[in-house]
Amino acid sequence: MARQKQPTMSRALQRRENISGYAFMLPSLIFFVGFVVLPMFICIFMGFTDANMHDKTMFGSFIGLQNYIRLFHDKTFLQALWNTFIIVIISVPATCAFSLWVSSAIYKMGSFSRSFYRIVFYLPVVTGSVAVTAVWKWMYNNYTGILNTVLKGVGLIDQNINWLGDPKFALYCIIVILFTTSVGQPIVLYVSALGNVDPTLVEAAEVDGATDMQVFWKVKWPQIMPTTLYILVITTINSFQCFALIQLLTQGSSNTNTVMYHIYFTAFKLTDQAGHFGYANAMGVVLAIAIGILSAVQFKLAKEK
Amino acid sequence: MKKFLALALTLAMTMSLVACGKKDEPQSSTSGSQPQQEAGQEIKLWTYPVGNWGDQATVDKLMEDFKAETGISVKVEYLAYSDGDDKINAALTAKSAPDLVLEGPERLVANWGAKGYMVDMSDMLDDTDKAEILPAPLAACTTADGKVYEYPVVMTAHCMGINLDAFKQAGADQYLDLESHTWTTENYFKAIEALEKEFGGPVTAVYCKGQGGDQGTRALVNNLYGGTFTNEDHTQYTWDDPMNVKALEALKNTKGIAFDASLEGGDEIALFYQGVLKIANCWNIAQQMNPNQANTGAGKTMNGEEIICMAFPSENGDDTQLCGGIWGFGIFDNGDPAKIDAAKKFIKYFADSEHTVDAVKTANFFPARTAAEGTDLTTIWADNEVMNDYQVLMPYLGDYYNVIKGWTASRVEWFNMLQEVGQGQDIAESAKTHAEAANAAAQ
Repeated sequence: MARQKQPTMSRALQRRENISGYAFMLPSLIFFVGFVVLPMFICIFMGFTDANMHDKTMFGSFIGLQNYIRLFHDKTFLQALWNTFIIVIISVPATCAFSLWVSSAIYKMGSFSRSFYRIVFYLPVVTGSVAVTAVWKWMYNNYTGILNTVLKGVGLIDQNINWLGDPKFALYCIIVILFTTSVGQPIVLYVSALGNVDPTLVEAAEVDGATDMQVFWKVKWPQIMPTTLYILVITTINSFQCFALIQLLTQGSSNTNTVMYHIYFTAFKLTDQAGHFGYANAMGVVLAIAIGILSAVQFKLAKEK
Repeated sequence: MKKFLALALTLAMTMSLVACGKKDEPQSSTSGSQPQQEAGQEIKLWTYPVGNWGDQATVDKLMEDFKAETGISVKVEYLAYSDGDDKINAALTAKSAPDLVLEGPERLVANWGAKGYMVDMSDMLDDTDKAEILPAPLAACTTADGKVYEYPVVMTAHCMGINLDAFKQAGADQYLDLESHTWTTENYFKAIEALEKEFGGPVTAVYCKGQGGDQGTRALVNNLYGGTFTNEDHTQYTWDDPMNVKALEALKNTKGIAFDASLEGGDEIALFYQGVLKIANCWNIAQQMNPNQANTGAGKTMNGEEIICMAFPSENGDDTQLCGGIWGFGIFDNGDPAKIDAAKKFIKYFADSEHTVDAVKTANFFPARTAAEGTDLTTIWADNEVMNDYQVLMPYLGDYYNVIKGWTASRVEWFNMLQEVGQGQDIAESAKTHAEAANAAAQ
């Protein structure tokens, strides 16, 4: 049988389509280049300078790797990096595990119950971070907070705990808030992913005598792996970039300084100190590299699975 | 046709984006059609919340009166202390700084002035002005080489707030000299002990979450045993001296005093208003005059308990050195002589004319000068009992050391040091480390 020839567009028509295609892309492209690509390159470049917000020249002087050498001798930065890793190490697995557990429990429910739970867990995500933080700040309050009142009431503590003022607790208090505001999206995604698992494979496994755990790990888990990978990556990035909670609750005090907050603080608060803007950009580059490495590791491990 | 419409729509979107991008640039068509003089008749004022200078309704009225008399309209933006500096720094970087700013010499003189952003206003001060402006604000607003980057308007002495009813309930009012509003270090610690025994838990806080309201913690520590924050020349931070270390040790070891890294000045005031804390270290006359959120009236807690102002305790009681607050106007040099002229007219109107009374009363502080163009300013609060009562603290106004170099960095070092003290680290070592870091930043 003779092969049917595909209709081809004339060159003029192709050009016209290309032009209109690029024209549609143009607004987004302008924003993307202007507000993502360009600042990214400026950030990398400024990391090698002693730029200061108050310099007459925008980029200061080129100082090579001095900012990066300084970074790894800066105790405050290293502490901030360590705190950030603690947040990531605790928050990411906890968020993923909890959201998978909740999703597994609710995805088979009726549509009303499923929607109800999705709303409950998604509510902190859509609520403004300032409002959420204000409520938590009140709950954690050393003098009048509900947490101390309840714990004292049931006899678990006899002295108020300064949740946000004590370095032993403050970082973990922030992780708790971050956790509550992070689980919403993964739950919605997991519910959707679990709902899309091929039921015939599940039935076949069950007919073959597989236990619930075996069905989950051998059948469902591989199928929801792309969702898991996506959740791992976005949760990791969000945890690395934890800023608003620190700014609103502790301003980096009580050993809660994170790299993101330290970048902001160095760039915009330490205006007296020379070279702080270039230094903050160097921190930004280190943070981006750390996120990149961890994301690559996650991709690699997920692929192997 | 559809493609043509889509293309037209896309182009329109793109053009609108370009138009958005150009919005903030000077509009040549408008300025071209107007004379330069007229274009300079709108100026921008960015004001920190200096008393009611942070209240839009009050300031709008002042600006209307100013416009009616001079024809100059003023666009006002209200800054908060939490992010006001960030906004101004960002505006300076973007070369879109306001024409005028209302704040203190630590920002206008020691920071933006020293960096060359402010207009020297020494030509606005003749001999009469120099005689009328009080020596402390005049010195604080003038650089070593005689440049005036801030025209002082108001001043005050920061103090403590005391919940008098709580003191009476605990029998601690015996330790207060209610006539001179002073007390000794010994009596301060006795009062804390009595309050702690009566109410339990912390009755006052050495707040150290951030730099907000840190004049209170500085004054408390410096005064207890006669320590200093800087040397007399304002060239070195001296808070690691033995007297300050002794004070920090005494505060740390006293039951009822919390070194609290979850609070800064504003949080402390809120807890004081709620009646939780019985002593506020972040207090001044503007706080005393402002009705609290429960609207129980000026000088009352939310429970209606009486609040009084007290000087910070010192060894003899009468040798306390209170931190001063000085506020005035500065002009950012935006390179437009017409706007600078209009800004100077604004300052003349509010800082040196019969209208200065309104500017001072709006701030709820004391005038930085004795008279302005023939108007006596020394008696403007004569009919106000609270202000008159507060006047007794003004002679204790201490050295205005805030103009030292590296001020911003030093405040960070100060609250970090307090946090370390609160965590139980070696006090002398911590004070030394952070004072050295502050001195390094000042170089």
